[in-house]
Amino acid sequence: MSAAAPRARDPYRWWRTGLFLYTGLFLTFLYLPLIVILLLSFNDSTSTGFPLQGATTKWYAQVLDSADLIAAFANSLAVGATAAVISTSLALLLALGFRHGVRGQSLVLNLILLPVLLPGIVGGIVLLIFFGYMEIRSDLWTTVLVAHVNYVLPFAFLTLYPRVHGFDRTLEEAAMDLGATPLKVFRHVVWPMLMPAVVATALFAFTLSFDEFIRTVFVSGHDRTIPVLFWLLVVDEIAPHLPAMAVVIILVSTALSLAAFAIGRRADRST
Amino acid sequence: MAAEAVAVSIRKVGKRFGNVAALDDVSLDIRRGEFFSLLGPSGCGKTTLLRSIGGFEAPTEGDILIEGRSVLHLAPYERPTNMIFQHLALFPHLGVRENVGFGLRMKGADRAASARRVEEALRLVRLEDYGERRVDQLSGGQRQRVAMARALVNDPAVLLLDEPLGALDLQLRLQMQEELRRLQRQLGATFVFVTHDQGEAMAMSDRIAVMNAGRLQQVGTPAEIYERPANRFVATFVGHANMIEARLTGRAAEGLAEAEGPAGLRLRGIAPPHGATDGGVLAVLRYEKLRILPHGADGEGIGATVVEKTYMGSSLRFACRTGAGATMTADTPNAMPQRDIGEGDMVRLAWSPEDVVLLTD
Repeated sequence: MSAAAPRARDPYRWWRTGLFLYTGLFLTFLYLPLIVILLLSFNDSTSTGFPLQGATTKWYAQVLDSADLIAAFANSLAVGATAAVISTSLALLLALGFRHGVRGQSLVLNLILLPVLLPGIVGGIVLLIFFGYMEIRSDLWTTVLVAHVNYVLPFAFLTLYPRVHGFDRTLEEAAMDLGATPLKVFRHVVWPMLMPAVVATALFAFTLSFDEFIRTVFVSGHDRTIPVLFWLLVVDEIAPHLPAMAVVIILVSTALSLAAFAIGRRADRST
Repeated sequence: MAAEAVAVSIRKVGKRFGNVAALDDVSLDIRRGEFFSLLGPSGCGKTTLLRSIGGFEAPTEGDILIEGRSVLHLAPYERPTNMIFQHLALFPHLGVRENVGFGLRMKGADRAASARRVEEALRLVRLEDYGERRVDQLSGGQRQRVAMARALVNDPAVLLLDEPLGALDLQLRLQMQEELRRLQRQLGATFVFVTHDQGEAMAMSDRIAVMNAGRLQQVGTPAEIYERPANRFVATFVGHANMIEARLTGRAAEGLAEAEGPAGLRLRGIAPPHGATDGGVLAVLRYEKLRILPHGADGEGIGATVVEKTYMGSSLRFACRTGAGATMTADTPNAMPQRDIGEGDMVRLAWSPEDVVLLTD
């Protein structure tokens, strides 16, 4: 090859540079607020905002000391776990039933998924009117739990149904062929194979419940969940530890979602 | 046949899905210790019949007896059968040993005895070193063997095999055929094997049932099926044959009959069993039973010209036109003297009357 060989021009050079800049802007837009919150959570100042006054961890200490926050956290955990277990169980039963082919199945399927499209504010108002009409007092274990299950169930079904539907029926036949009664087929084959998907669904349902705000604010009464407490803090008072609380909640939510995602991937590989 | 020698008795079994008959009046007996194949094209009902024996389909008519007892009222988990599924259906969440031991565990067998039998079954299929593996760590052939061990460890009265070799490539397939045959002989077990591959059925079976469109066409040994097909379907589905429409012209000695084909071709062959003295018959002559001889050979046979020569590796195929205008095809080994015959050459075609089967249907 001669030294004077012309360099081939990269026809996509400008396109590549543009894409690079665009991606940078996109990520900044997504993550800048989070970074700001993180910085502010360590800011040694009683007023939330810039300029930064110096670093401190006292807001985190205050967060861990706040009785309100701990109570709300406990409420969110408890109601989230309960809603997750109930909605995942219902979704599992429904999905298992659907495998046998029900008359009008696609209509039922669509009816189950329709509430996903319902705006949260409408859902909240509808629930408020409904509970008022039924004379049910707003409380964590009645109205809030029902609201959360009601909200989470379609999502849980949506997550679980494809995995249950895709389950290889010949595995059940094989188990039956080897002497397993229907109950044993479920216990030794169907359940162990679906369990990762069920756990992933439950974690997903939990994060949905944990984050739920609009419906909850309508029906929560005196019991506060984390999002409701946040809202009250922002509206009612100056709360310099708010960014620290936000960071804690972000960490908890992200960890759970990643766990759900990882378990879900394992479930996909095994089926 | 003595009743105690029958492992599975299919009696006038029918299965209708709406108006479609997947099985239509099927009756046959499968003997104990026999390698029995159900052979037919896809949709012929062979898998439906197999699944009916296993309890996964409920016949709408007739009865199925295993070891002399009707099993129609029994669920799959109550039947003395085990099945090897088309795609094996190994449990992906269990290891090799747990897969093989699944049946014993479901029946609540004694742990120590089960463990011993599992090892024995693994040894039987030559997988004694693979007990700890996960199923997805095995090759195709090893998975086949796990499926066999998982079924055989339960010592079934009948082992049902639903085209388990269908997904394998040719070499492995031949190897597994041999392996299955070895196991069946060694255990003296009754195997019912579904396949659409006639070569596979021939190579492995003691007897074959040929099925088409839900109906039984013929039951017999591979040689009977091949040499004496009962009807046009069997003659076409199994092997390659010259099929010559002819008219019966008279009976001859020793079960032979005379027939006349197109262009005055005179044929002598095995007479149809049900004494159709006059009328149309189908003369069936296997390609390889038709001998093709160089022109110079002695006066045996009839004169013909080679129209097309096809090279097939171990054999050669010659399509020939007889002097009178009939087309006949012959397969010969790829060897002298036929190797040197070319297209357009004059040849002589000869065959024995015992190799021609005259069919009425």
